Amino acid sequence: MKKISKSKLFVCIFLLIFVVYPLIEMLLQVSWGGFGKLVTSDNFIEALTNSLKVTTASTIVSILLGYFLAYTLNRTNIKHRAVLKVLLTLPMLIPSISHGLGLINLFGVNGIISKKFGFNIIGPVGIMMGSVLYSFPIAFLMIDDGFHYINPSMYDNAKVLGLSKWQSFKTVTLCYLKKPLLSAIFSVFTMAFTDYGVPLAVGGKFLTLPVFLYKEVIGLLDFSRGTMIGLFLLIPAFISFLFDNFTRDYTSSNGEKEMIIKNSKFKDTILTICTYIVLIIIFVIIGSFVYYSFIDNFVLNKAFSLKHFDYVIGDGLFEYIFNSLLIAIVVSIVGCIIAYTTAYITARKKGKLSKLIHIFTILSLAIPGVVLGLSYTISFNNFFIYNTYIILIIVNIIHFIASPYLMAYNALQKVNSNFEAVAKTCNISIFKLIIDVIVPCTKKTIREMFSYFFVNSMVTISAVAFLFNVETMPLSLLINNYEGTMMLGEAAIVSLIILIINMFVKGIIYIINRIEHNRSMYGVN
Amino acid sequence: MANLFIKNLTKVYDNRTVLNNISFDVKDGEFLSILGPSGCGKTTLLKILIGIEDATTGKIFKEDLDVTNLDSSKRGMGIVFQNYALFPNMTVLKNVMYALNLKIKNKEQAKKDALKMLKLVNMEDHIHKYPHELSGGQQQRVAIARTLVLEPDIVLFDEPMSALDADNRLALRREIKEIQKKLKTTIIYITHDQEEAFSLSDRVMVMKDGNIVQIDTPNRIYNHPKNEYVRNFVVSHLIEKVSSIEKCTGIDL
Repeated sequence: MKKISKSKLFVCIFLLIFVVYPLIEMLLQVSWGGFGKLVTSDNFIEALTNSLKVTTASTIVSILLGYFLAYTLNRTNIKHRAVLKVLLTLPMLIPSISHGLGLINLFGVNGIISKKFGFNIIGPVGIMMGSVLYSFPIAFLMIDDGFHYINPSMYDNAKVLGLSKWQSFKTVTLCYLKKPLLSAIFSVFTMAFTDYGVPLAVGGKFLTLPVFLYKEVIGLLDFSRGTMIGLFLLIPAFISFLFDNFTRDYTSSNGEKEMIIKNSKFKDTILTICTYIVLIIIFVIIGSFVYYSFIDNFVLNKAFSLKHFDYVIGDGLFEYIFNSLLIAIVVSIVGCIIAYTTAYITARKKGKLSKLIHIFTILSLAIPGVVLGLSYTISFNNFFIYNTYIILIIVNIIHFIASPYLMAYNALQKVNSNFEAVAKTCNISIFKLIIDVIVPCTKKTIREMFSYFFVNSMVTISAVAFLFNVETMPLSLLINNYEGTMMLGEAAIVSLIILIINMFVKGIIYIINRIEHNRSMYGVN
Repeated sequence: MANLFIKNLTKVYDNRTVLNNISFDVKDGEFLSILGPSGCGKTTLLKILIGIEDATTGKIFKEDLDVTNLDSSKRGMGIVFQNYALFPNMTVLKNVMYALNLKIKNKEQAKKDALKMLKLVNMEDHIHKYPHELSGGQQQRVAIARTLVLEPDIVLFDEPMSALDADNRLALRREIKEIQKKLKTTIIYITHDQEEAFSLSDRVMVMKDGNIVQIDTPNRIYNHPKNEYVRNFVVSHLIEKVSSIEKCTGIDL
């Protein structure tokens, strides 16, 4: 009993210091006198309307794309589903700004494709394309997961009842997918609305809200105005947070039966072709990084050259790689421990405090990285951890904790609820029980949590952008630097390195899971 | 000599009385069944006896010792759950040895004891299997061995056969009875199955809405049900069963 109370206390204090306190501190330092002036300024109104327009457009495209890809992978006879699923989520392994730069490589003022045809996509179209590129995999994964929960016998029921195809789509598919679809819409909207990487790269003069915030804070060091803009970024995230917590999910009945897919050659062919087109686009962008890495200069001299590599290495590439790996590994390990402990408390020790901890932990999902980073700059600039790796590690843990926490929460709820009672009567300590039994039962989830923390720490540029210094700068922010001076070759190299590191880690975890699955020593009950 | 005395136990959850001033005792080596429909408070009673939950008021004595606030591990009780609660990442032998290794330092002795107990529950041929490779009945046997190997004075069973099919139930029922005869352990057995309670127990305690309705030998409950409830819930059910067997077999029971 005592041990649990102690860990509860620790989690509470941790969340209070690193989630609640910085947000309150940030709000306290705002000079609200400037609020009216800010929201009526031309810049702000322009940025807000611009943001709303491109975000809405990108969300619609991302969701449609995500839905059709999920549909194709679940409801047609397409081959190599597992491989396709992995490839379609590759865009999640590079920073958002890289997608913007990939588009510049292809469709910029001097882009590989655009130069031939005399156009470019700098501006809203570019932002939209970039946002779609890095947000559609999220929509795809969420909707794909939703498809798994549809009970196939519902379609048989619909058929027996004589429902038409459209009617059964409405009553079965949409009913089951309502929650994942809405969640996906909110997530994608929030992501695109709060991201500054893509618009920074391909926005040109088209000002969006997060870029506006970024410029106010990084350029003008006006924290007060930055915070006020940040509040607007919080709105969609907060709505989505409320939505996720207060809507009931009635799709819990798992359709364990295999869905029998009818042969429809025409439909299958069309959807398969579309899926491969999406893949080709992904690979063309990655390919453009490879191309730009190895040529001297696309406009002046297309000869093979390693000068970009020399430059990046001269810039201290390996130190940045070291920084990023250090941060990502520590975030993954410590983040997993904190997320797992918190989930253990909330999933297996019911109580009012547990509920409160649950809400605060997923609250971090609603705080955009830029806002979180800003609040840390304001709150901890006199604290000893400022200017060290520690603050970068903590901000990443808080920024990304919600998803791994929920993974652990769901897994721990499924573990036999009588283990603690057995342990108590057998004189086994709870700590020993967790280490010897509960952790081994949830190994796969822990690996997924680790991978989530790692990949996101490698690609993030939002929260850390306000908190790094020369010594601690992570690799991803190097792309920001090169973007500022339009050094596309160098930026491409860094993007590739991040992609390779992430693929390597994901690959290792995939292999471990496969080996374990094949051994299949025991099932979790 | 009575082993366990339960005195005026009451449990209140958010203004709802789950156990209402319950008193009874369990004799040394006795097999007591607690019989009642779901929601009658029998599982709460068990949780309080084992020490997973606290009583609102009331006391539990073991011999002269007040165990009401004693830690679960110090009460000398073991528990067997309906869902087995075997550790899925350990083999049968490891499951049985796990807690034993903490109790006695001698590993060889622990293994010997575990094997002996597994033999008693007829699981000696499966010691290297994992729980998911066993049937429900086999898993429950392992769970019983895991509990008994720690040599508790009292073993509590929480509807141990609810998840099993009819054949397995019958076999396991017989084994539990045999094991009890051999080890002379006191058993408190929770069930909602009238047949199970009547065939296994020295005494049956019938519960309803957090109260004890009747506590007596199966014979006396059958012949002298205390009230209408006991007659309906227990006796009629058994009579129906008997008459259906008579009808099928033509034998007059």
